[in-house]
Amino acid sequence: MAEIKLTKVVKRYGALGVVHGIDLSIAHNEFVVLVGPSGCGKSTTLRMIAGLEDISDGEIRIGNRVVNGLPPRDRNVSMVFQNYALYPHMNVRENLGFGLGIAKVPAPEIERRVNQAAEILGLQPYMDRLPANLSGGQRQRVAMGRAIVRDPDVFLFDEPLSNLDAKLRGQMRVEIKKLHQRVKTTVVYVTHDQVEAMTLADRIVIMRDGHIEQVGTPAEVFERPVNVFVAGFIGSPPMNLIDAVVTTEGLRPAARLADGVVVPLPAGVSVSEGQRITLGLRPDDITPQGHGMPGTGETLRLEREVALAEPLGTETILFTRLGDKEIQAKMLNPRVVTPGETLPFVVDLARLHVFDAADGRSLKA
Amino acid sequence: MTLFRSPRAVPYLLLTPALVVIAAVILVPLAVSLWSSFTAYNLTRPATLYSFVGLRNYARLLNNADFWWAFGRTLVFITVTLNLELVLGLGLALLVNQVTMGRKVLRTIMMFPMMFSPILVGFQFKYIFNDAVGLVNNALFDLGLITQPIPWLVDGTLAPLSIMAAEIWMSTSVFAILLLAGLLALPKEPIEAAKVDGCGPIQVFRHITLPFLMPFIFIAMTIRSLDVARAYDMVRIMTNGGPAGRTELLWTLMARVGYQNSQMGMANAMGYVSILTSILFTVYFYRKLVVARRYMGGVE
Amino acid sequence: MSGRPLTIEKPWQRWLIRLGVFLAMAILCVPGVWVVLTAFRPNVEILARPPVWIPQDPTLNNFLGIFGLLPAQQQGLPVARYFLNSVVISLTSTAVAILLGMMGGYAFARYRFRGKGALFVSFMLSRTVPGVALSLPLFIVWSRIGLLDTSLGLIIVYLAINIPFTVWLTDGFFRQIPVDLSEAAQIDGCTRWQAFWKIEFPLARSGLASAAIFAFLTSWNEYALASQLTRTTASKTMPVGLMDFTAQFTVDWSGMSAMAVLIIIPALLLTFVVQKHLIAGLTFGGVK
Repeated sequence: MAEIKLTKVVKRYGALGVVHGIDLSIAHNEFVVLVGPSGCGKSTTLRMIAGLEDISDGEIRIGNRVVNGLPPRDRNVSMVFQNYALYPHMNVRENLGFGLGIAKVPAPEIERRVNQAAEILGLQPYMDRLPANLSGGQRQRVAMGRAIVRDPDVFLFDEPLSNLDAKLRGQMRVEIKKLHQRVKTTVVYVTHDQVEAMTLADRIVIMRDGHIEQVGTPAEVFERPVNVFVAGFIGSPPMNLIDAVVTTEGLRPAARLADGVVVPLPAGVSVSEGQRITLGLRPDDITPQGHGMPGTGETLRLEREVALAEPLGTETILFTRLGDKEIQAKMLNPRVVTPGETLPFVVDLARLHVFDAADGRSLKA
Repeated sequence: MTLFRSPRAVPYLLLTPALVVIAAVILVPLAVSLWSSFTAYNLTRPATLYSFVGLRNYARLLNNADFWWAFGRTLVFITVTLNLELVLGLGLALLVNQVTMGRKVLRTIMMFPMMFSPILVGFQFKYIFNDAVGLVNNALFDLGLITQPIPWLVDGTLAPLSIMAAEIWMSTSVFAILLLAGLLALPKEPIEAAKVDGCGPIQVFRHITLPFLMPFIFIAMTIRSLDVARAYDMVRIMTNGGPAGRTELLWTLMARVGYQNSQMGMANAMGYVSILTSILFTVYFYRKLVVARRYMGGVE
Repeated sequence: MSGRPLTIEKPWQRWLIRLGVFLAMAILCVPGVWVVLTAFRPNVEILARPPVWIPQDPTLNNFLGIFGLLPAQQQGLPVARYFLNSVVISLTSTAVAILLGMMGGYAFARYRFRGKGALFVSFMLSRTVPGVALSLPLFIVWSRIGLLDTSLGLIIVYLAINIPFTVWLTDGFFRQIPVDLSEAAQIDGCTRWQAFWKIEFPLARSGLASAAIFAFLTSWNEYALASQLTRTTASKTMPVGLMDFTAQFTVDWSGMSAMAVLIIIPALLLTFVVQKHLIAGLTFGGVK
């Protein structure tokens, strides 16, 4: 059993704070992804869990042990590094078996476990090669093999796919997911790529400037972002964020945009007349008439001129204006759209996000 | 981000043995040297180590023509040889860079002189420039160019030149090898871009190759300025300062004053002048190196 | 990495370059070759006029002579003893300098600490002190504490001379090795100490070898300090011994050449062994 518990964990370099007292509980066998822009403290947090950085304040538990003062080797964690960190002077077999050798595991047992890991990862043909003679994807597999061979309590991944090209990254993502299903272990995975986070995670931890912004399942952080930052960070293409002022339309609150368009706000939003807000509208939720998902509830129709169309095959991204912003809309079952063409757009009002313009918090209940 | 797990003391502990040795062999003696340069210390009378004379040694140095000649000669020697070594080394590197076959062998040959002890180089050239049995005179005789032996190391004009030749033979390789390494690391794209932009070979060299080589030039200069005093060994064996003091450098002069005349106080005063000169040269080139490196955006 | 000559089209230019390279190499080789040839010549041939270019009567007598193995020869010099002194002093000072220098280099490469920059520069500067200038006070100090004319005295001096350069080189070598590797090893269960010996040290080994050769050659070839700090066969080294052959006005060319060959041989061997590492060491120690 290895759950991980971070309590008020702080990391400072001299006077410079990097992680400001974060709390996080990770369940046994859970796959948690720390995601955020560079410099948000996610890697530092991971390295503190690994024992590669000391903890300035607070407490980290792995299982039921406080590991604050423990060196990495006593934490029974394994880690896959961004640059793989394969030992250049050892072949694949030696790289895989190195940790077991250090732990004085008997040779036949090392042999067995190394072969098992190699089989899982399809490394058998390369066992006698040096890392220099492997491709990026193969190195990545060796790095993962080195991690699983030791059968650790916790797997740590530090941006493991960022050095691979886009296609390989997609493949390895699938392999990591499969691997986790096969070798059930607690995983903490750091990335700056929200797609990786969404596809891999049981739960996502979104970090910014050394703070945790939101913790939740991929669906939760996508559907109910707690603030503008999370809303803008998760989802691709990103959510359109449009400044607006609260007004009253009929008897219910609505948002008046800079270009005069009035958008009724969904039920359960607590706003007051005249309040400055930011409207969040995912491209999926503003679609040309007849080219979107069938809406479940109330909609708003808008005639908009398309400035640019980006065909992606199964869908086309349309660029148009709303409020004082250029926004993106998604067209499913696309037809050819010429720039300058005016299309009737449908906005799914129930899926509208509303944030306070001042502090960015979500105003949706 | 490195590991900072270990206590702060670790790097100091790692450095302590090295520091102790350097303190014992360099710092303490330098302090002794500084002190004795203010005394009338004479090797034959140990008690004189405590007879403080203030700046008298330095004052005498300033009024001593021999010292000034040796000092000036040393500066000229350093400046001329370093510059010639740079030019010749650059030429040699460019030349070898043009050859595609056997570069490894050439590089090994270029390395010979670097491996030679300066005293050995001195001996070698003492032998080669010897008027009776030397290679140079023998060759000139055989070619019928001379009928009388040329006294290379005995003539007041030729002796300094002969010593410079030996020094240049010994150290041009340092420049050649480092600059060759620089040429081999030269990125292709800027040169190709320059050619596309219409630069001729000379302009490419002037605007692309040379600026790129600058850090390498300064590394070589820094390394050379560290050991330029090795020329002492050569002069010692070739002419020992002669004829009539025409090849007397600061280093030979101080050895003579210190060990032969036993005037250690005076010699140490000279020693300090030479130490400061060396440090000045090194710091100058090191600064240049840092600037050039920054200018190149940290040449990898 | 391979050849990229500026385009040279005309054959005569190519030949000109080859000629230039040949001449340059000849100038670099001839003095050494000449000394080696002389070492195998009888004295008559050295002094012959007109000169004898190619040895007609090669002999080992010069070598036997300097070791005092020829019966009817001028008194033999203790060359064997000098050689032994040189070997012991150079090897010992090199080994210890590499050990201490490696520790220092590792500290500079892997740790941030107060006074790092200043310390690094002072290491460098300690190397700039001219040998003769250093020999004066060392002579005074060593004679007072009884280290004058001892192998130990010279070993300590060479240690101090070699440490700064070794620190400089090893710092460069260790910085080439990603910190990740040591960290990965620690995650794999190593202590930092184990991680160093199992991962970082093997990877730096070739660099350390080249640093060792620099240190060895510096000690092996050093004259200015050795000539003042050694007096007798107890500690005299080969370069100092070479001067035994010069009297005020006469020089024993054949004996000196034989001795020179003995000094050259280790240097040449080492050059062949490590020439590649050597350049790598010099350039990235400095550039990176």
